[in-house]
Amino acid sequence: MRKKETASQKAIQQQVAWAAPVLGLVLLLLLPVFARYNDYVLQVFTHALLLATLALAWNILGVSGSISLGHAAFFGAGAYTSALLSLDLGVSPWATIPLGGVLAAGIAAIMGLFCLRLRGAYFALATLAFVEIPKVITDNWDGLTRGSLGLVGLPGLPSLRLGSYHFDMSGSLVGSYYFVLGYGLVLLVLVTLLFRSNLGLALQAIREEEVAAEAIGIQVQKYRLLSLLLSAFFTGITGACYGHLIRYLEPGLVYGLHFSAIPMIFAICGGRFTILGPALAALVLYPVDQFIFHPLLPAGHEFLYGAVIILAILFMPSGVWGQLRKGHFVSIKTGSIE
Amino acid sequence: MWTTVLVSGITLGSFYTLVALGFALIFGVTHTFNLAHGELLVLAGYVAYWLWKTYGVSLLFTFPAAILATLVVCLILQRLFSRLREPMEMNSIVLSFGLAILLQNGMLFFFSGDYRLIRVPTFNQGLHFNTLYLSYGQLTLLALSLLVIGLLYFLMRHTFLGKALRATIQDREAASLAGINVGGMGVLAFAIGAILIGLAGPLYGCVHYLYPTAGLQATLLAITITIFAGVGRIRTLILGGWILGFAESGAVVLLGASWRELVGAVMLITLLALRPQGIFEREQ
Repeated sequence: MRKKETASQKAIQQQVAWAAPVLGLVLLLLLPVFARYNDYVLQVFTHALLLATLALAWNILGVSGSISLGHAAFFGAGAYTSALLSLDLGVSPWATIPLGGVLAAGIAAIMGLFCLRLRGAYFALATLAFVEIPKVITDNWDGLTRGSLGLVGLPGLPSLRLGSYHFDMSGSLVGSYYFVLGYGLVLLVLVTLLFRSNLGLALQAIREEEVAAEAIGIQVQKYRLLSLLLSAFFTGITGACYGHLIRYLEPGLVYGLHFSAIPMIFAICGGRFTILGPALAALVLYPVDQFIFHPLLPAGHEFLYGAVIILAILFMPSGVWGQLRKGHFVSIKTGSIE
Repeated sequence: MWTTVLVSGITLGSFYTLVALGFALIFGVTHTFNLAHGELLVLAGYVAYWLWKTYGVSLLFTFPAAILATLVVCLILQRLFSRLREPMEMNSIVLSFGLAILLQNGMLFFFSGDYRLIRVPTFNQGLHFNTLYLSYGQLTLLALSLLVIGLLYFLMRHTFLGKALRATIQDREAASLAGINVGGMGVLAFAIGAILIGLAGPLYGCVHYLYPTAGLQATLLAITITIFAGVGRIRTLILGGWILGFAESGAVVLLGASWRELVGAVMLITLLALRPQGIFEREQ
């Protein structure tokens, strides 16, 4: 069905596949220089980078073919854990941010117990319902979480001291920006290694043909659980960073549908089965939303996300980056092997 | 106290069944999940609110407009669903989730984020039977829900069209072989589903606050009741609705109103965990 690609087209694709991310990285590294006098631009891109890490983390599970509509559970759990530990016990955010990830993974283990036997649509529905559990508990456990009042005055992101050099990541927007960019790059490297490891290959095999994967000896349930835990861990860390960045939390905000929907939308629009796609979609769509649609439509500008996901699932189910990189992935169903 | 739980359980449960009917019918006939179900319900509620508030239209006459609104959106959704590729169930979830976001933002734009309620003055008065108290609001909700459920039951059991719909739900290939236009039945299911949502929406606006993101709760309860019942069984749907209604009313009395939202979610996860293979596999 697909037109046969000529060699030159393929070469161009290869070049795009390398040039675009490198160019993007250079632009991101230099962005504070371009936008030195504009706090708003820095804030938007800091948030876009944070959403990119969210999409990358979501896709650790997404690459196995599962669609989660419940990642807000991990995001909120990470945010609340880190916020409460640093607020009430005065622990440094350096320690509480990873602990946020650990608690999120713990919640994922409980979710896995109930939901991992489910496939496809039923897994998605169960995760959608699961978010309500930590949300309602956080909302009602006033003694611990201050309930629906939320948390204010969270400590900012930690500062880094290297000898005499003091890198302030909470006071200055540039510092926050580079902190999130650094975390994003670390996560990108980890996800790349993960996707190329045996675990990554196993997850992709499960996605393509679960029965066949099981037949060649892949322990499907074990790998699915592992990918859920890893995905939740990094989602929790992103949630924790979010809390220390905006320094204000509320159950309805961090457990809201928004943080479940956003990573799913970015991952599918960008390309669920690619490494970079989800992050690229976040870095393009969020600024477009903030710079173009937000000023035009202060109420309702997020219709953009609904529109792009509908268009993507109808016309480009493998995502924009996935379409560009087609042929670089072993795909049994389409029969193309590179 | 427990008579109150009983009464509010049956009232809520019957209304929940009405809310779930459209979802169950669409799912049964077309095997697609409509995650925008709750948003459609809230949309119908908003249309009724708007007519009531700005033009003073009485509740009864807001139904046609609400139905018209849900019909238009549902038929567009049906057109979009018909272009989807396999796997249908999963892709329909993603697509209708996108539609839910579109509708949420559309409603935020047109009706703002404020909480709205259709206040019918007589709904707060009521009848006393010894210790039992029934408000006219509850009575209306119960009567209208049961009436619509009864009408749908009649349609499904005693008309030729209903037989064709049920045949499609039970086995699409066999229905197709028997000369039933399965695609047409899909459009019909969306149309009837839209009418059901359009009837439930204004009632929803009388008993719950309307706000753009209120739909998720309704979607979850529709999914819960549908999965409890399997498909094509209206009587089991009512049973599921009542159990959910009792469980929620009980939770409100025992734990407090803020824990109510948890009941549906826990029930859905339990049901799915007990029947992981999904709904259609059951009879094999």
